[in-house]
Amino acid sequence: MKKFNIFNVLIVAVLTVFAGSAMAKSEMLLDQYHFSKGVKCASCHGDAQPREAVTMMKCVQCHNTKKLAEKTKDMKPTNVHNNRHFGTETKCLSCHKIHQKSENACVSCHPRWNFIVP
Amino acid sequence: MSKDHSQKKQEVDQYTANVLQNGISRRTFLSRMAVGTGGLAVAGLGVGTASADPLVVGQQYAEIGGATLGFMPKPKEISDAEIASTQTFDVVVVGAGASGVPAALSARESGASVACLQKQATAISQGNTGSGIDLKNSDKSAIEALVNRLMADNQHRSHPGLLREWAYNSGEAVTWVIDRIKKGGGQVVDQGTGPQHGIHGIADKGDRLNFVTSFCGPKPYTTGDGMRALAKTAEKAGVKFFYNMPAKQLIQEKSGKVVGVIAQDRDGKYHKYMAKKGVILSAGDYQNNKAMCDFFIPDLKNFERKQQDRMGDGFAMAYWAGGVIEPVGHTKMLHDFDAGPASMCDMPFLAVNRKGERFVNETVEMSLMNNYLKDEVNQGHYSQVFDADYMTTAKDWPGHLYSPEEIKVYMPEEPGEKPGVFPSITNTYKADTLEELAKKLECDPKTFVASVKRYNELCAKGKDEDFGKTASRMVPVLKPPFYGIHRRMRISTLCSGLLVNTHHQALDADGKEIPGLFIVGNMAAGFYGGVDYPLTVFGLSLGRCYTFGYLAGKYVASL
Repeated sequence: MKKFNIFNVLIVAVLTVFAGSAMAKSEMLLDQYHFSKGVKCASCHGDAQPREAVTMMKCVQCHNTKKLAEKTKDMKPTNVHNNRHFGTETKCLSCHKIHQKSENACVSCHPRWNFIVP
Repeated sequence: MSKDHSQKKQEVDQYTANVLQNGISRRTFLSRMAVGTGGLAVAGLGVGTASADPLVVGQQYAEIGGATLGFMPKPKEISDAEIASTQTFDVVVVGAGASGVPAALSARESGASVACLQKQATAISQGNTGSGIDLKNSDKSAIEALVNRLMADNQHRSHPGLLREWAYNSGEAVTWVIDRIKKGGGQVVDQGTGPQHGIHGIADKGDRLNFVTSFCGPKPYTTGDGMRALAKTAEKAGVKFFYNMPAKQLIQEKSGKVVGVIAQDRDGKYHKYMAKKGVILSAGDYQNNKAMCDFFIPDLKNFERKQQDRMGDGFAMAYWAGGVIEPVGHTKMLHDFDAGPASMCDMPFLAVNRKGERFVNETVEMSLMNNYLKDEVNQGHYSQVFDADYMTTAKDWPGHLYSPEEIKVYMPEEPGEKPGVFPSITNTYKADTLEELAKKLECDPKTFVASVKRYNELCAKGKDEDFGKTASRMVPVLKPPFYGIHRRMRISTLCSGLLVNTHHQALDADGKEIPGLFIVGNMAAGFYGGVDYPLTVFGLSLGRCYTFGYLAGKYVASL
């Protein structure tokens, strides 16, 4: 039993170190990034328990979709923030995950669009 | 609508009778449960088998019940206090796609006040071609031969009445859509009968069969852009569009009459849209709803989805209003017109799967190829392979060849502008050796080269001992450069759904019209039924969407 516990602790330690070094390479999750800019849990999730699920309307209170599309208008090969599927109103969370690593939602259909999503 | 109060059971056609008997509705769910219990009782009375039997029976029914409830939860009650606004129209259309936008505009042109609710921020549609029959230049016997052919394409599981509804009204409807898209500044032309390569031999010699083939394009322009132009025309005509406003549930009186829709905006607030004449559901398919797909078309598990957000919202709404969903075995549509030329998709060149193995008699059309590639390795991928002589060896094959110069627009490795295609999903390659081509097609080179060698042997023999392809289509792959088109069969749409009559009015489990509820587009039943959408009439899908939207809008406005 004791041996098992030590093994667990080791695993956790290894994972933590690994995660830590990965984060250092600017792969900070967006929850931490928001937190570092003073955006608290309740800013998005509200104060009530259980916490509210976050809709896109919360994102657009701070992030104007039209301005964002303008900012990335020269993005190649395409401006993801003004696309053929949803115009400027693609759900932010399709790509930008808050509590997990973000993902490139384009690439499964457009195999050569290797965007790195913050 | 039904004013027939007689006790006599209305006579229904065979298609409708079958869906009533075998489809999924609230009533069949309950009665199935009852049948399950009945089965228990019978088994208990000693049919003569082991005592474990009743348990198995019970489990089976619970699974069906569980699946039904899982993907179509009963809508929660929304109290009047939660309603932020209420507006009243004659007609409320749910969904601004290739059926919804035409429905909204045609209802408006027929004098109705119209709201169109859309889940997304814009009107949305896919594809380029939508077709109808040019009635004036077609003979009735030829039209009926086409209806007969489409019934066969649908494995005789569709409603001939609905096919005729398309056949005899689509020329008018598609012509109308072309005109109204143009009025909205859209890019659309009538290509006539020219692109209809698949109809040869259907009509008797001397019988005329001609088409109105609308084309919104070329790519990257699509019918999505066309529908956004049509929505502009509709808006000008007075249709009120509400974007980012997904419908959540239907408002139904105790009598069963559907009188409106509750939708929810992006802030989470509810809004009521009352409909004096009727609600037209045109909310599309359910390809992104895994539980629904697993239940209705388990074959889809390993295929990629082309669309997003297609959760079958309309199915749940109609089901809870008493609608009947066609039984399991829904029709699917999996295509790739973008990797290489669409007009070469049905040419029986050597084809290899993702591993590089020959896997099929290549005369199987692309629209059916997915059935050979359902596993988790292939996931719908295959490659058409041919050599430098293809312009001569394949010159009489079905479709239209692109020359080595023309085909460059489909080659991601070729530099320069790529007009008329989606450059991000082209997937055609050229190489001087088979090994090199295999790598570009993402196949194992050894397996690929062995497959080509075996195929060439069979070609030399003039006998396809592996798959039985006819000798005239056995053309070897010998002379470099070698070509490959790596196609990915992904889900364009699913096109089975809720039972309607020829007025596009939803029917309940008794076969009676649900007052106030109409269903069009790919979520309506009865137009297909085969394992795959047929490519006999190029643009049938959009043509049917336009036509039934146009007709339903007119009809509901006239009530």
